[in-house]
Amino acid sequence: MTATSWGWLVLAFPLAGTVVCALGWRALPGRAAGWIGSLAIGASFAAAIAMLLGLLDRSAEERSIVDSAYTYASTAGFEVDMAILVDPLSVLMCLVVTGVSFLIHVYSVAYMESDRGYPRFFAYLNFFVFSMLLLVLAANFVVLIVGWAFVGAASYLLISYWYRRATATAAGIKAFVINVIGDVGLVIGAFLLFDATGALDYATVFGQAPGVFEVNDGQLVAACVLLLVGAFAKSAQIPLHTWLPDAMEGPTPVSALIHAATMVTAGVYLIARTHPLFELAPAAADVGAIVGALTLLVAATIALVVTDLKRVIAYSTMSQIGYMVLGVSVFAYSAGMFHLMTHAFFKALLFMAAGSVIAAMAGEQSLDRMGGLRKAMPFTYAAFLAGALALAAFPFTAGFFSKDEILAYTLDRGGLYVVLAGVGYLAALMTAFYAFRMVFRVFHGAPCPEAIELEGGLLHHADPVNPATGEPEDTGAGFPGPEHHVAERSWPMKAAMAPLALLALGAGVLQVPGITHMLETFLEPTFAGSAFVHEGPSDSAEYAGMLAGGVISLAGIGLAALLYLRRRGATLRLRDRLAGVHDFLARKWYFDELYDLTVVRPFAAAGRFGRTTVESAFVQGTLVGGTVGLVRAGGALARSVQTGALRAYAALLLVGATAVVLYFLIGAS
Amino acid sequence: MDIAWFVVLSAFIFCIGAAGVLTRRSPLVVLLCLELMLNAGNLALIAFARMVGNQEGHVFALIVMVIAACEVVIGLGIIVAMYRRRLPIDVDSMSELRG
Amino acid sequence: MVDVSLSVLIFLPLAAALVGALAPPRVGRWVAVGGSVVALAYVLVILEDFSRASAALQFTTDVAWISELGVRYSLGVDGLNLFLILLTALLWVPAMVWAALRVADRPRLFMFHMALAETAVLGAFCAQDLALFVVFFDLMLVPFYFLIGGWGQGERVAATTKFVIYTLVGSLLMLAGAVALGVLTASETGNELTFSIRELAQSPLPAGTQNWIFLLFAAAFLVKAPAFPLHGWVVDTYRATPIPVLVVLSAVLSKVGVYAFLRIVLPVMPDASATFQEPMLVVAVISILYGSVLAFSQSEPRLVVAYSSIAQLGFILLGIFALDELGAQGALMQMVNHGLVVAALFFIIAALTARAAGSPSLEQMGGMALRAPVLAALFLIVALATLAMPGSPNFVGEILILFGALEEQLVYALVASVGVALAAVYGIRLLQRSMHNRVGPSVEGGDLGRLDLGVIAPLAAVIVALGVYPQLILDRTEAATTAKVTAAAESAGQGGRDRPAIEAPGGPIFEEPGADPRTELDGGESHAEVSEGR
Repeated sequence: MTATSWGWLVLAFPLAGTVVCALGWRALPGRAAGWIGSLAIGASFAAAIAMLLGLLDRSAEERSIVDSAYTYASTAGFEVDMAILVDPLSVLMCLVVTGVSFLIHVYSVAYMESDRGYPRFFAYLNFFVFSMLLLVLAANFVVLIVGWAFVGAASYLLISYWYRRATATAAGIKAFVINVIGDVGLVIGAFLLFDATGALDYATVFGQAPGVFEVNDGQLVAACVLLLVGAFAKSAQIPLHTWLPDAMEGPTPVSALIHAATMVTAGVYLIARTHPLFELAPAAADVGAIVGALTLLVAATIALVVTDLKRVIAYSTMSQIGYMVLGVSVFAYSAGMFHLMTHAFFKALLFMAAGSVIAAMAGEQSLDRMGGLRKAMPFTYAAFLAGALALAAFPFTAGFFSKDEILAYTLDRGGLYVVLAGVGYLAALMTAFYAFRMVFRVFHGAPCPEAIELEGGLLHHADPVNPATGEPEDTGAGFPGPEHHVAERSWPMKAAMAPLALLALGAGVLQVPGITHMLETFLEPTFAGSAFVHEGPSDSAEYAGMLAGGVISLAGIGLAALLYLRRRGATLRLRDRLAGVHDFLARKWYFDELYDLTVVRPFAAAGRFGRTTVESAFVQGTLVGGTVGLVRAGGALARSVQTGALRAYAALLLVGATAVVLYFLIGAS
Repeated sequence: MDIAWFVVLSAFIFCIGAAGVLTRRSPLVVLLCLELMLNAGNLALIAFARMVGNQEGHVFALIVMVIAACEVVIGLGIIVAMYRRRLPIDVDSMSELRG
Repeated sequence: MVDVSLSVLIFLPLAAALVGALAPPRVGRWVAVGGSVVALAYVLVILEDFSRASAALQFTTDVAWISELGVRYSLGVDGLNLFLILLTALLWVPAMVWAALRVADRPRLFMFHMALAETAVLGAFCAQDLALFVVFFDLMLVPFYFLIGGWGQGERVAATTKFVIYTLVGSLLMLAGAVALGVLTASETGNELTFSIRELAQSPLPAGTQNWIFLLFAAAFLVKAPAFPLHGWVVDTYRATPIPVLVVLSAVLSKVGVYAFLRIVLPVMPDASATFQEPMLVVAVISILYGSVLAFSQSEPRLVVAYSSIAQLGFILLGIFALDELGAQGALMQMVNHGLVVAALFFIIAALTARAAGSPSLEQMGGMALRAPVLAALFLIVALATLAMPGSPNFVGEILILFGALEEQLVYALVASVGVALAAVYGIRLLQRSMHNRVGPSVEGGDLGRLDLGVIAPLAAVIVALGVYPQLILDRTEAATTAKVTAAAESAGQGGRDRPAIEAPGGPIFEEPGADPRTELDGGESHAEVSEGR
């Protein structure tokens, strides 16, 4: 079988899993849906490996294969095939997506066990994986947009998975609408490319682009910026980021899979995929770089003060994706993709460990209530620590190599980019700090009651409450389940977390500066046309950057240890002294309020205005009322003749007849 | 005899009929006057037929007679129905068709 | 190709319903249902036989009808009406089945009116003679008058009156326009009086004359569509109309108007279409924005769908009056798609209302997904298609419309694209308010019954199938549809596919295309060129 046949199979397995789980929702017993879903993704992962092997069999020049299944839409010059593109970039993405998804599915088999929507959960999750694979395998912009929107829909479904929660459904609609805004950006961006090149498939567009566009051509820059709008919406970059923290309303495995490891990195993939365009439009690439840098800083500052465990990790996700966007926008593709991969490992791990912690706390997510879980949950602690070390870029973990490669490339570009790199290093300090703020506040310090209970062998179970509002859940529906599952007691959860912990610590060996270049070499065919593929910092510059990064990471961790382990209470005093700053950060830089004021309220007001004023006064009053009035007046006139008096009719008849006769008589004479 | 006499007589009868229809309130009389008007028409038709010298006018006159008979049947039927329902036998009070 | 095929198709439902009306009640209604099922089978045969490469009319019937007036009984199918006929036949079946099982009051009469409506709509879609079209167009009004007035709910009399007066005024204006068109063309060319659409298109009137006739036609079709601000009848009618009638009213009847723009207005009055391009685009864009904004501030699902239809038809108008091949193809695609999703939505709304103790309000609904998971799943599919999610057939229609409009009228298309995001708001809001959140105060009942499942699931399946393979439609419609806009596009000075190459940064795309040639057009000179162009 060829690599593309495997590619179709990669797509087919999750789709089949979706169908089986969805149609068998009533028939599948116990954990069956979970295992079927996991099996489908496992098979997809195996097919992805086969695809990789098939690709490696070919010479480097032939590692980009397009295969079309059928004509999707073709009319009046608009030609789109249902086609997939298998090349190193898409294969890498497939491997990351299916691999991480498989582990998260296995984790969910146990974690979601007592939820009454179990088969529905796995149907959604399988559908998500299918959509994500469609997105990365697409060979043209339309199929990309289809996959792009499907992952948005899957994300919406999973965010509002516990649909009896008002907060979950509100978060869902927010995420969906922002994603649709991104879709519109993509569609218009695709149009601008279509307008100039007359095609929508990557090969033709990228091939034509240098011919029809000059460097920084207005239309191309507009197209690229619109593609960036799509990327920003999906990857939660400023200013389209507000949905991601709210998306934490979904079940924790969803946060791990969609809102950390895979979907939110689609924007990074998009920029990498369309790199020939961005290299022709450096102005648009700069927009990406600046927004990435801004996001990574803003998100890191917010993560410093947020007290909801999942939201801290969500903001750190935003921040890390900011690094990736910065990386691919300064044309450091392999560095960006490398960070995408390592981030998938350690962030999925962090969320899984956080899920275990939240389960132990019986659904409680606030850092304020946690503490001292280290002894009660040794496995979870170890896993979380591994994830946090990688997130903090502790020397020689996976995150250390990937993040420093991005910053080294950025520094190497010189000029304005030095500032962006500086921002990156500043945020790296914060990252290390907040990563270990979580570790210390959750696992260290005085044990909370739940931790003591768990040490005594009793898992705390409480009536489910909405962690955001504290109101009791609609238990009549049974969402979410009353039982909780922690890693210490469920082998599937352990089995899913252990490999990720190893990868989070060790995946850096793929790209050790000056020693290994596995990823870079593998990805080279995709980026062969790039002017920047062989440019990069010298080894010595990278080592210097790594040294700086290591020092910053250790400093951040040390600062966290100082504040949260040694001088407890210092943070409270700090918070009181900097109340204004704290408030500003805790309100997330007032983005939500800003959008409420500038978008939500005006549209709601327009709706009210339309309903009460335009509709009643203008449409119903003037137009309908006017028409009705006219007809009524005409009717009254016609009616007045119809007296009903027989003799009047006879007289009229006679007069009329006489008039006609007279008319002809006069006319004849 | 000159055709004019027939035509003038026909016109007189027609006018009497028309005046009766317009002025009388009893439906019975109105019907009678209608018959007068129809017969005035018949008279004119037959006179002209004689003048022209063919039978077409006679045919029309026969048809008019048939129609007149039908009309009387229906008209009298209505009047009888009104009488049975004890409605006022008066054309002016029959104004259900007022719009 | 059989000579009589289209006449049989058109009058078959009516004949079956007549037989059914004479049969005993229990059998009678099913005879009428049988008529619509056979009609659907007939259309499927036509679809199978249809030759996709040709833009010409197929399965034509053409005999003299009123020879003194030059009116011919002329029917035909091409790519433009093929799928609209299919949509009509397809949607009438579930509507008739639903009615046969759920309408208890004078069922045979109800079925008869439904069948008459089907005959009229099929006739309007097949008619190739302007006078014949007018006849069928006005015939549509008759059954709907009785159906809404006789079987409606709430303020049905007021609603019927409003509906009839609105559409009748439009129809009369169109009648005047049609007569003027035929007579003036005959006196212009010196030929015999004819109302054949094809022949009228071959000898267009002078631009000045076209303009006022265009306005007469546009008034009729915009009322039918409905488009802002001529949608005054919509709210009351949608509230009062019984569900099976509403399904076909909203899904099929509203398409006759926009279909007529492509069939009659653009080919016959190309210069006027070009002259009024911008006002029509303004109407389209306002309809999109206004419909969307009002759709998400309504509290009754029926009205949400009513206003969303205004927005969707705005998109269709945008596609048509972009005067671009892509836009026209997208508009046609969207007519079919909107028909499918709206039909499914109204059946779903009937199911929702039944589960909310008969309340039409969203306030009374909520949290139904747990009790009715199958309903929730089908609703999800239909709702996502309604908001034109990529992967749904509606997306293909919408992207074609947007591409066509962006190409010719960038600014209008950009404003219209806001409507895409707004559609997401009202679509998801409708889904959430009824299916999700806390259980509504009077929600009861379980999952879908066999009838509801039987009407909604096949529609959802068709939507999914078209989403996977939209080429099914595009392939067969391309030749005929794109030909309809060429004359108007030429008149507007829009080049269509052969766009100029991008030379300077900024590119010609940022200039307003078609702005300059239209100034030449005001002199009425372009008419001769257009005629020669064919």
